[in-house]
Amino acid sequence: MINMHHDNGIWVSTEDLNREESFLQSAEKEFSVENMAETDGQWAASRRDFLKLMGFGLGAATLAASCEIPVKKAIPYVTKPDSIVPGVANYFASSFVNGSDYCSILVKTREGRPIKIEGNSLSSITAGGTSARAQAMVLSLYDTRRIQSAGTVENGAVSKLSWQDLDNKVKGQLQLGGNIRLITNTIISPTAKKALAEFTAKYPNTRVVSYDPVSSAALLAANEQCFGIRGIPSYKFGEADVILSFDADFLGTWVSPIEFARAYASKRKIKSVQGATMSRHYQVESHVSLSGSNADTRIQIKPSEMGAAICALHNEVAALTGGSSISGPALSDKAKAALKKAAADLVTARGKSLVVCGSNNVMEQVIVNKINDLLGNINTTIDFSVLNNTRQGDERDMARLIGEMNAGQVALAIVWGANPAYELPNADKFKEAFAKVNTRISFSGVMDETTALCSHAAPAHHQLEAWGDAEPKTGHYSLIQPTIAPLFDTRQAEHSLLEWAESANLNRDDEQPYYQYLKSHWANDLRAMQSKYNTGAAFWDMSLHDGVFENPAGPRTVAFNSGVSLNSAGVTQPASGAVEISFYETVNIGNGQYAHNPWLQEMPDPVNRTVWGNYLCVPIEWDGNKKMNGWMNLNDGDNVEVEVNGKKLTCTVVRTFGQAPGTVSIALGGGRESGGCGVGYGVNVNPWLPMEGGMIQYFAKAAKVEATGTVDKHFACVQHHHTMGLAATDAKGNTINADEQVLAYQGSLTDRSVIFQANLKELPKLAEKLAEFHQHSDHLNTQTLYQDNVEYFAAGVKWGMYVDLNSCIGCGACQVACVSENNVPVVGKKEVARHHEMTWLRIDRYFYGDLENPKVVYQPMMCQHCDNAPCENVCPVNATNHSMEGLNQMAYNRCIGTRYCANNCPYKVRRFNWLDYTTADTWPANEERLFRVDGADVPFYADNLVRMVMNPDVTVRSRGVIEKCSFCIQRIQEGKLTAKKENRAILDNDVRSACQTACPTGAIVFGNLNNPDSAVNKAAAGVGDLAYQVLEEINVRPGVKYSAKIHNS
Amino acid sequence: MSQPVSPVRHVLIEGNKTYHNISEDLCSPTEKAPSKEWIIAFTLSSALLGLYTFAVIWTIWKGIGEWGANRTINWAWDITNFVWWIGIGHAGTLISAILLLFRQRWRTGVNRAAEAMTIFAVMCAGQFPLIHMGRLWLAFFIFPFPNTRGPLWVNFNSPLLWDVFAISTYFSVSLLFWYTGLVPDLATVRDRAVGFRKKMYEKFSFGWTGSAKHWQRWESLSLILAGISTPLVLSVHTIVSFDFATSVIPGWHTTIFPPYFVAGAIFSGFAMVQTLMVITRKVLKLEDYITINHIDSMNKVIVLTGTIVGVAYLTELFIAWYSGYIYEQFAFYNRVFGVYWWSYFGMMFCNVVSPQLFWSRKIRRSIWWTFFLSIVVNIGMWFERFVIIATTLARDYLPSSWSYYSPTWVEISLFTGTIGLFFTLFLIFTRVAPVVAIAEVKAILKVAGDQFIGPNAKKAHEHASQSSEKQEKH
Repeated sequence: MINMHHDNGIWVSTEDLNREESFLQSAEKEFSVENMAETDGQWAASRRDFLKLMGFGLGAATLAASCEIPVKKAIPYVTKPDSIVPGVANYFASSFVNGSDYCSILVKTREGRPIKIEGNSLSSITAGGTSARAQAMVLSLYDTRRIQSAGTVENGAVSKLSWQDLDNKVKGQLQLGGNIRLITNTIISPTAKKALAEFTAKYPNTRVVSYDPVSSAALLAANEQCFGIRGIPSYKFGEADVILSFDADFLGTWVSPIEFARAYASKRKIKSVQGATMSRHYQVESHVSLSGSNADTRIQIKPSEMGAAICALHNEVAALTGGSSISGPALSDKAKAALKKAAADLVTARGKSLVVCGSNNVMEQVIVNKINDLLGNINTTIDFSVLNNTRQGDERDMARLIGEMNAGQVALAIVWGANPAYELPNADKFKEAFAKVNTRISFSGVMDETTALCSHAAPAHHQLEAWGDAEPKTGHYSLIQPTIAPLFDTRQAEHSLLEWAESANLNRDDEQPYYQYLKSHWANDLRAMQSKYNTGAAFWDMSLHDGVFENPAGPRTVAFNSGVSLNSAGVTQPASGAVEISFYETVNIGNGQYAHNPWLQEMPDPVNRTVWGNYLCVPIEWDGNKKMNGWMNLNDGDNVEVEVNGKKLTCTVVRTFGQAPGTVSIALGGGRESGGCGVGYGVNVNPWLPMEGGMIQYFAKAAKVEATGTVDKHFACVQHHHTMGLAATDAKGNTINADEQVLAYQGSLTDRSVIFQANLKELPKLAEKLAEFHQHSDHLNTQTLYQDNVEYFAAGVKWGMYVDLNSCIGCGACQVACVSENNVPVVGKKEVARHHEMTWLRIDRYFYGDLENPKVVYQPMMCQHCDNAPCENVCPVNATNHSMEGLNQMAYNRCIGTRYCANNCPYKVRRFNWLDYTTADTWPANEERLFRVDGADVPFYADNLVRMVMNPDVTVRSRGVIEKCSFCIQRIQEGKLTAKKENRAILDNDVRSACQTACPTGAIVFGNLNNPDSAVNKAAAGVGDLAYQVLEEINVRPGVKYSAKIHNS
Repeated sequence: MSQPVSPVRHVLIEGNKTYHNISEDLCSPTEKAPSKEWIIAFTLSSALLGLYTFAVIWTIWKGIGEWGANRTINWAWDITNFVWWIGIGHAGTLISAILLLFRQRWRTGVNRAAEAMTIFAVMCAGQFPLIHMGRLWLAFFIFPFPNTRGPLWVNFNSPLLWDVFAISTYFSVSLLFWYTGLVPDLATVRDRAVGFRKKMYEKFSFGWTGSAKHWQRWESLSLILAGISTPLVLSVHTIVSFDFATSVIPGWHTTIFPPYFVAGAIFSGFAMVQTLMVITRKVLKLEDYITINHIDSMNKVIVLTGTIVGVAYLTELFIAWYSGYIYEQFAFYNRVFGVYWWSYFGMMFCNVVSPQLFWSRKIRRSIWWTFFLSIVVNIGMWFERFVIIATTLARDYLPSSWSYYSPTWVEISLFTGTIGLFFTLFLIFTRVAPVVAIAEVKAILKVAGDQFIGPNAKKAHEHASQSSEKQEKH
């Protein structure tokens, strides 16, 4: 090396030139650490070192401080994969399966990252619709608390083991020959079942124990008794003219809500004013469920009166159809009269009516089956030829398992998908018994309550990383394909089972062994069911492309087993006096399965509009004069101590219109103890659930409620005001508008042009009234000094939206889709309590009608893109302005945050970044710390893992700027480019907003208002005068139209 | 009383002053060591100023989210304070300009302090539009100047932009007017000063020599500035009212706002002048210059403007009912009976009822009543702005978005902090410049021979302190 100097003819000093010994020595050591003096382990810094370090330090600090944006690494592809074009999204058909939830989906990926869920319109079950839960699944992929490797579980943490070590350990245990139990929710995957069969064949002492997070065991048992089929039939809400539901929230959570919502809404859309028809919907319940809030008539009963109500309806129907009556428990006259009317309607629509029941009491379900039988609905609206497979669990099996475990008969337990230590009412007993099992293995991806009790964790992939399939309904197959390489060192659950079973069918040398296993099952077994594709490869490719393969069985008729006797002693007996409490599943949190998903936690409960936790709903009472009081004079946010079955919990109150008098209710799914960001929000009410005949009952007959005098400082409810003209009875017995009487509480003057509603019978009258209103508004809006600006938008494209309030069921899928599409930040409970929520699209909920039992209307509210926008002219810096296509645009970089636009927005849809919710800012001090990563509190979106969910087409907004709905301008842009590339005019299908594609009922239509044939124009024109703009008369000229809400009672 | 006394008009300056007395009395506060009261007041107000600075830094560092404002009520204490301070800043120019044009000579006793108050109040007001911005560091976007950001320009349709022009114009003209008046007085101070002070005042008085040409130019400039200021008195608050009047929000969208805001501004401005003058005349012993007659006159303005404001409130209610427009009706119904009813009643009591006490001559001429009621009026005017801003926003068109607002410690600190800023500036002002316009007061002094001969004659070079001692013995 030294010689090289001379070879180059370069020398550095005379010593070098002379090749002096001292120089050679030092030159050799030039880059040695010894040059830095170290004495006694401490750096002895010379003056020069000090200056150097100072210089470096200053330089580094200056560099670090002056960089505006931290440099992120971006490594270009050496060889670009064919399937990935930077900037162009890829869509993969897959399925969302979790517990009892199923949705066929398309996963949108960008640069290899799944970022958005869309519905798959090829599925005949969900038909392109989604739910809030399905929309939010993509965020759980990037959960910072996922278990990152296999290992042993100690104190709620995983100490890593290699998969091979784990396999050896587990196999060793399996081969000992003790009893093996798999604890699962319902498994609807045919290939997983095949893998399970191999596992069971290898270890014959294996039994699978399934239960569902929310049980339908009684329904299954009753169907077995009545029809000889332990299964849930297909309910045809789209063919029913009269629907009566006993506490079954079929639009929100019961069995197959996406499918039901679509069918239900198809019978509720008003297509024209003349000759409009609608189905009629009765809901019998105590708390206001999503379905109940959409019902034409809600019949309020106490939860314990369910049996009595079912018997009463049976007898009324029997009287009209010639059946024999049964003696049921007593029921209030009011409910009886209402049921009598319902029975008449049901009988009139014989064969085209439908009675469903969410109760978990076998005899009640049997009687409901009998009612449907009397009505001739079996084999018409209730179809057993295609069964719904999503709920097959039975909690009685779990009780048996607990017994076995207690008796020390179980040597090894594998928990797969289920979380019994939280979900079961007798979780305490489960935990005690579970501890007696020698080896406890969990497939869970997060450290949930059950995994924390396990000895080994074998974390499965997230569904978006995994292969799989599902058969949600008989003959309806659905594929799950990975859309990203596994983020962590996880493994398919099925792969683990096959590995442990030492299956010969698992090709371990393959990169994705389970993929081959799944493919061979499809290419061989499923291909045989069809004749269109002859080769396995073709069939597989088609299935993978479509995501679904549907091969429904032919019609099957069943008959009600005449041997079944109706015994009213088996139904719930009414309790007297005490306050009753019911427990319900919300559309967002389920029974806690979704509690760790921030998007779902921050999605308001559709009915009581609360977020981040479960709240005790108490009824609202009218004092007959000037006040609406919460029950026991409780106020929103009051803490109360509630005692049920001797167990006390402190709950926060939310006053809820429509909650039956004498009852309270609270949602399931709160108070999670481990596993993610939902920990600490709400209370776990599962231990309160009573068991009857081994079946979980979702109500308790006696609850003691005591005020504590304390309040929840961060009571988070996004809507304080609830009503739009409630009717009540005054002291003299006259019906009055209660809203107008109430001073300072709700406010008066309820005749706002926000919501228009009427009974179906009065539809022409409403149309007349609205025509007058349109005329009046037109008159007002033309009294202006300024020229009309309409002609500016006459050419080219003008974007607009139509929202059918009659189809909107308030499920919130659109809201979560919007959050996902537009990188809307999550702000946390404390910030929502201060009304700092950031949602671009919210669903306003108003009550109208009878004060004690009101009707509900949901109104999705987003930026109305006004053509005469009040926000635009008040911005001093032109940060918000109007496009030639009628869009109200936000230039975030120009916004200085005066918030005048938000004040001046009549619809209050503008959202200000009060704090640095997205960590887009370069100042770390101002971030609201909501979530915990590696033991440190971090803001949402602060972690690089969570940031992977962001849509790269949408700017992440920094602190201090206003944001709002953009009509998904990134989608508009994409659509325009597509049309341009194809050299044609833009069509409806080129641009579909995120809320539109998420909606299961097609309530939202988006498109070009300048195209007379566009769907948005046709839909609005169809209902004629029923279509209106909110606040039409204030001349802001919104680009969104709504249709009036019609009820059929 | 030895001065020639008109049977109709009382003298404007009491205490039988000579020109020399006036120089002595009015220059001495800038020359003496500060009094104990001044030191206590200064300590308190600079502590509040410190709190203000802290709250501003906190707001900028953490974000506007540290305030209680929310998605529905996007403006609250910030803009309330802004309008309140701007209103207070109206009396100075009114006194200097309009009263100058109307030849109201009594104004000379209070105009200097009132103008100073105006400038300091506008400085306080100007803080809020800046710190309420989400991105303060981009505040320069609001100025129309050629830039490299392409065709981006300010929005001349926006009332907030009009505010920028209105307030900056008002501030610069007021500052100019005030300083023009100060020049001869600073020269007086200079002439009495020695050493470094002399040099400083030499600079600040622009080499004023008191030549006839100087006086002639000074008079012309004052008149011209008065002419320019006069429309400003009316325009500034008119434009501030446009922030609300041009919106679509019921309760804001009213044509009555411009006159109502101007009257309210004069009302609150005079109230603040009273608060300050009552203290200043006592602390600086200027009772002979700022006399009970001044207080009386200003109280008359307060009762007039307070009544105008009251009529405006009632007109609003009437028009809301008469309009037949449900949103407007509800907005006012809500103001009176809604969640913030207490602020409406506070406003009504403080602004409309309490000033009516000034119909009584005895109360009008009582120092204590004046001081007390001036504070009440200031509170009332703050309530008025709160009622207009927060109450209106809390209940607008869509009931789903209705919300409630209460301030956080940051907003409370910002408000009290600007009071600290205001008083710190005012207290410094009392130490560096004559609080009463020496030259103008001298111009209205009525002098007769008996000051120099006879029993009323004063000895030459008698000191101000002695003369005031004498005064107290009377």
